[in-house]
Amino acid sequence: MATAIVTRIVFIVVLPVVGFSVAVLFLGLSRKITARIHRRYGPPLYQPIIDVVKLLTQKENISHGILFDVGILLGLAGGLITIAFIPAGGIHPLSTSGDFLVVLYLMLLSPLGLALAAGASENPNASIGVSRKLILALGYEVPFLMAALAVMTRFGTTSLVEIVAWQQGSVLDWAAFVLPLPALATFLVMPAMLGIRPFDFAVAPQEIASGPLVELGGKYLAFAAIQGALHTYIVVALFVDLFLGGGANMLTFFAKMLAVFFVGVCINAVLPRLRVEQGLRYLWKWPTILAFVGLVIAVLRRG
Amino acid sequence: MDREEILKTLKSPANWGQKYSLWAVYFCTGCGVVEIPPVITSRWDAERFGVLPMATPRQGNLFLITGYVSVKTLGAIIRTYDQMPDPKYVVGFGSCPVNGGMYWDSYNTIKHLDKYLPVDGWIAGCMPRPEAIFVAVVHLWQMIDKGIATGYERYKENYEFYEANQRRVLPHLPKFGGAETNEGPNG
Repeated sequence: MATAIVTRIVFIVVLPVVGFSVAVLFLGLSRKITARIHRRYGPPLYQPIIDVVKLLTQKENISHGILFDVGILLGLAGGLITIAFIPAGGIHPLSTSGDFLVVLYLMLLSPLGLALAAGASENPNASIGVSRKLILALGYEVPFLMAALAVMTRFGTTSLVEIVAWQQGSVLDWAAFVLPLPALATFLVMPAMLGIRPFDFAVAPQEIASGPLVELGGKYLAFAAIQGALHTYIVVALFVDLFLGGGANMLTFFAKMLAVFFVGVCINAVLPRLRVEQGLRYLWKWPTILAFVGLVIAVLRRG
Repeated sequence: MDREEILKTLKSPANWGQKYSLWAVYFCTGCGVVEIPPVITSRWDAERFGVLPMATPRQGNLFLITGYVSVKTLGAIIRTYDQMPDPKYVVGFGSCPVNGGMYWDSYNTIKHLDKYLPVDGWIAGCMPRPEAIFVAVVHLWQMIDKGIATGYERYKENYEFYEANQRRVLPHLPKFGGAETNEGPNG
């Protein structure tokens, strides 16, 4: 009993660190892959670490009041705690029944923290960025929640560990093959959830000077960058857990994550940015229709 | 990374970060900025040096003054520079910030940028080629290693000098009281 508790505590501490390392590695890879797609040489693989070290060791950190500091920390904490809930290849320190619902709520904590900081910075660009981010969230939450509901209905559980356990047979047991339409819908909204092109209008550097991040510098930008890396990990890991059968161990889990992330990077490297209303129209059209049909089929098959 | 580099990194991670992650403020002052798009895109790929364009001064630590500086632009440059967090490096790009260049007798441009802001290095030429930016970046790395790229400290130590010069050409800047005056730029 005591060893079980100690193991659990160790995993709660270790999992965010592992998640952060994997996410940073993925970000480095994404910059390298993007560069190669653009026929450039690209930065070294560890460039995101250099950037974060630089930001953390900056001599001056400009704050805009207590809400600004708290908002950044809230976003970071939201990312760290969400990772502990997501099963990563057999390691799931905080799994309970209904942890999928908890994850769906906690995933909103990071954007809200950033919105709080952006509001405290009183920069008009930050306000525009936050409102665009909320519109984007409104766009992808509808199809994503319907796809999530289809998964819950099909497997009859709200526990991520049980959802992963249901898919452990052959490859054909993966939810991507059991529930092809919700899987496709979630895959289509994933660039929006990650905030990458063509859905990066919330942080568009050329239009609104990087939106919510406009007043962040030094340590604040470092924390925001770490939170962004954690968010990438959360979204990709959740997709792998829900539709690609999780992983028997960490290695297969991260390999599947890398495959999904690679496709996302390729999309990011070649597509231009959509406008806000174009993005919303797309998100509420094809992914929503697919997710809805998938949900209806899942409900009918169950009943 | 070779072995010496690793030792240097362990000695001072801050220097390592400052060197290889120079984020340039994406601020177009003059005609020299036409050289920046080829530098940051596929042809010359500044990202392999860790140089990225940043949209806001809060995120940047490298300030390229690209081309001539008109008096009105100088106000924006000073505001931008004041908003950047330390440590920050200023590089004058092209002949005009050095000594006025072909605008040496213009009524509306400033001739010597280093009277108004501390400049860490110059890239001479009209226009300098994109490769010159990489030469400047590598030179800036060596200066950071030796600890002589300290323009931001000189700015604080000699603030009276810089402030007097700034106030002379730009008395209406917000930091000098904020109110617009009837005096012209040379008044």
